Amino acid sequence: MEQTVRAKELQLVVFQLVNETYGVDIAKVSEIRELQKITRVPRCPDFIEGIINLRGRVIPVVDLRTRFGLPAGERTANTRIVVVEIGGHTIGVIVDEVLEVLSVAGDAVEPTPPVISGLESDYLLGVAKLDDRLVILLELDRVFSRSEQKALMEGAYSNGALDKAV
Amino acid sequence: MAGFEFSDEDLKIFFEETEELLQAMEDDLIGLEKGDEVGARLASIFRAAHTIKGSSATAGYAAMAELTHSLENVLDRLRKGQAKVSTAIVNHLFTAMDILRRLTGDAAAGRESGEDISLVRRLLEQDLEEGASTGAVTATDEPQPAPGVDAPPPAARGAVSRPWAGVELEESEREALVEGCTHGDTLLAVTVDFLPDAAMVSVRCYQAYLYLEEKGRLAATRPTLSEIEQEKGGASLTAFLFTIEDPSVLAAEIEGLGDVRRVVLEPVSLADLVAEDSPAPAAGTDIPAAVASATAAAATTAKAPAAASVATAAADTATGTKSGMRTVRVDVELLDNLMNLVGELVIDRTRLVQSVDILDRAYGGKDTNVTRELAEATAHVGRITTQLQEEIMRARMLPVETLFKKFPRMVRDLAQKCGKQVELVIEGQHTELDRGVIEEIGDPIMHLLRNSVDHGIESPETRVARGKPPVGTVKLSASHLENYILITVEDDGKGIDAEGVKGVAVRKGFLAAEAAARMSTQEALQLVFVSGVSTAQKVSEVSGRGVGMDVVRRNVEKLNATIEMDTTIGVGTKITIKLPLTLAIIRALMVQAGSGTYAIPMASVVETLTANQGQLKTIRGSEVIVNRGQVLPVHRLTKLFTDPCGGDPRALVIVTVGGQKSGLLVDKLLGDQEVVVKNLGQFLGAVPGLSGATILGGGEVALIIDVQSLLSSHVAMAAREERIA
Repeated sequence: MEQTVRAKELQLVVFQLVNETYGVDIAKVSEIRELQKITRVPRCPDFIEGIINLRGRVIPVVDLRTRFGLPAGERTANTRIVVVEIGGHTIGVIVDEVLEVLSVAGDAVEPTPPVISGLESDYLLGVAKLDDRLVILLELDRVFSRSEQKALMEGAYSNGALDKAV
Repeated sequence: MAGFEFSDEDLKIFFEETEELLQAMEDDLIGLEKGDEVGARLASIFRAAHTIKGSSATAGYAAMAELTHSLENVLDRLRKGQAKVSTAIVNHLFTAMDILRRLTGDAAAGRESGEDISLVRRLLEQDLEEGASTGAVTATDEPQPAPGVDAPPPAARGAVSRPWAGVELEESEREALVEGCTHGDTLLAVTVDFLPDAAMVSVRCYQAYLYLEEKGRLAATRPTLSEIEQEKGGASLTAFLFTIEDPSVLAAEIEGLGDVRRVVLEPVSLADLVAEDSPAPAAGTDIPAAVASATAAAATTAKAPAAASVATAAADTATGTKSGMRTVRVDVELLDNLMNLVGELVIDRTRLVQSVDILDRAYGGKDTNVTRELAEATAHVGRITTQLQEEIMRARMLPVETLFKKFPRMVRDLAQKCGKQVELVIEGQHTELDRGVIEEIGDPIMHLLRNSVDHGIESPETRVARGKPPVGTVKLSASHLENYILITVEDDGKGIDAEGVKGVAVRKGFLAAEAAARMSTQEALQLVFVSGVSTAQKVSEVSGRGVGMDVVRRNVEKLNATIEMDTTIGVGTKITIKLPLTLAIIRALMVQAGSGTYAIPMASVVETLTANQGQLKTIRGSEVIVNRGQVLPVHRLTKLFTDPCGGDPRALVIVTVGGQKSGLLVDKLLGDQEVVVKNLGQFLGAVPGLSGATILGGGEVALIIDVQSLLSSHVAMAAREERIA
């Protein structure tokens, strides 16, 4: 087979959230788990569902729907927790359904159109056009934006009781 | 430095040894400045510098060797009384040692060192010149720091005489020796025995070789130079040296190399040499009896204590090596892994116990054998696991001294900078703490010490005006209390003014004036731990940015520990950190409340009661209970944790925080057990009220409550709610 120089190829884990299909870089995904009991952690931002036991480790779980301001969904038999590594942290992300793992040619990715489901374009890498559907590429690191991550880490939310804004 | 290659192992030991020596030098320097055992300390610092110089030169670190050489010069003058110990000199010595430390660090990390040693060397040289002109004398005791150097009478030679006697000499070597002796040169047989399990034996041999080479004419050595270089030498060096030096001086200096078990220097006469031989002696010599030659040699040598047979004790040379003791160097990572494994065992042990319970209930009546076997085995596994846990924890323990030793210097420098006079008293250095804890507790303690020196202790004038001694005392102590370690930082300074703290909090908008008015002193003092509050008049370079105490508390809490403050205006402040003996495993009371299961550390639990509604009273909207004659505030756990599910509270847990008791209302008590503490992780950050999470036997996650932060954040929240209302 002739090795031609290809545009960079992406491998994505594709999942469903409400009506749309999203893809994240497979390199960041460490595993996909079925939904399990999530222990609620008080006084956290609302998109943090809680914590789970991942083979002896305690990791936080976030609900992407809540994070994206989408209506809350029902947990079904298809709901999954996608465990990802971002910014040195291991966190679980709740999605409606994991569809498949795809290879996408770099040149099949188009820049994000200005408005897509109200998401900030900050964390969208683009849109991949595949046959009959669109896969929205997410830059997970930025989904939990730096300022939010920083705020979380400094426990600013937690210290909310003492902030001056009243 | 051609010829000798340091192996990686050798280098590692060299770096560690140098670190230890530098620390010892620092301690001695501080003691020296105080005028404490000046002679002995100067001697000890000098020896240490000397050792470092030798080792670093051999290892090829020229900058270190040069700098140490300059250090040595100053120290030499000081110990000979040719210069006076002044603050300036001490400061320069400290600076030099700091640079040396950095050089060592760079070298150990394989980094190129950008350090410029020329400035500090010039400073040291200046010290030498100035010292020479003032010429005052301080160090008056023993000019020669050579412990264990006796000049035993010839009688003592009996056992150790002529250890070189069995050496096989080559023809050429023998000829050289004979020729030299005939010529009238003094020949010494030097035998150096190093400690056999010393870490860098070959290096030591090499150093000894080089040293002797400079002192005269080395006619022969065993092992030979190439054997030493190839590390085939073994732990002894025998050398035949023509020299005019004083044997006792040589002995002392060889001893200073480190790891020396014994040094023997004996004069060798021509007769000795010749007597060894079976073949015909060289022409023109007599052959007196072997024994007689020894005494004859004694007579012929010009030096007075010719029989410089020196036996050195193995213990505490400047290097303070621990070889010969039964210790093993273990990587901390290994211990951490062991700790993790034990943690998992603890979880599984609980699961086993629960499973046995279930089986027992199902089969207990029918077939007791199965369950009994299982129960016994499980119990045994339980006991072994507990023991394993304890042993590994012990292995991870280090005396707190390793942490405390850097503080005297820090306090000294800080006091100087702040213009205060402070004496740091340290107690309980031998108290042992888990390694992981020691690493984490260092910064908080440092901050507390800084606060004491910078804000607590008043200036000497102010102190005197208040009838206090001009020198303030800061006491750092570590002690055991049941299952805890207490670390306290206490000063006799001006104390913390609760009213002042309240004032700042109100001014900065953290607190409403009315809430402040109603706050008790205890509660007001807790405000010190809030980020942004600081009563320092001006932000000093050192502390006072108002960011410190909250970080201190957070770090302390990360360790599952508590911090409390006790202060009296004008008298002083005492801060106590209470650390659980184990980092990762604690005993906790499990409770059910609303939708969650929680673990309350037993350390905070005073007692438990069933709570019926009748006992709960309400005072101004808050629930209270009368317990043992006291009125205690009661909080519903579900409310504290904003749990939408209110639960059905039927049990009360009385907890204590800083001596103050409160009641926590929960649904059900689930018993107490050991739990493995898991961090909530950095993504979540610090959640008030929680110190971590744990995984229960069945795999569920329970939250571990931090009683102190839970209740204090509640206090703050209540204050806020009142502000809104």
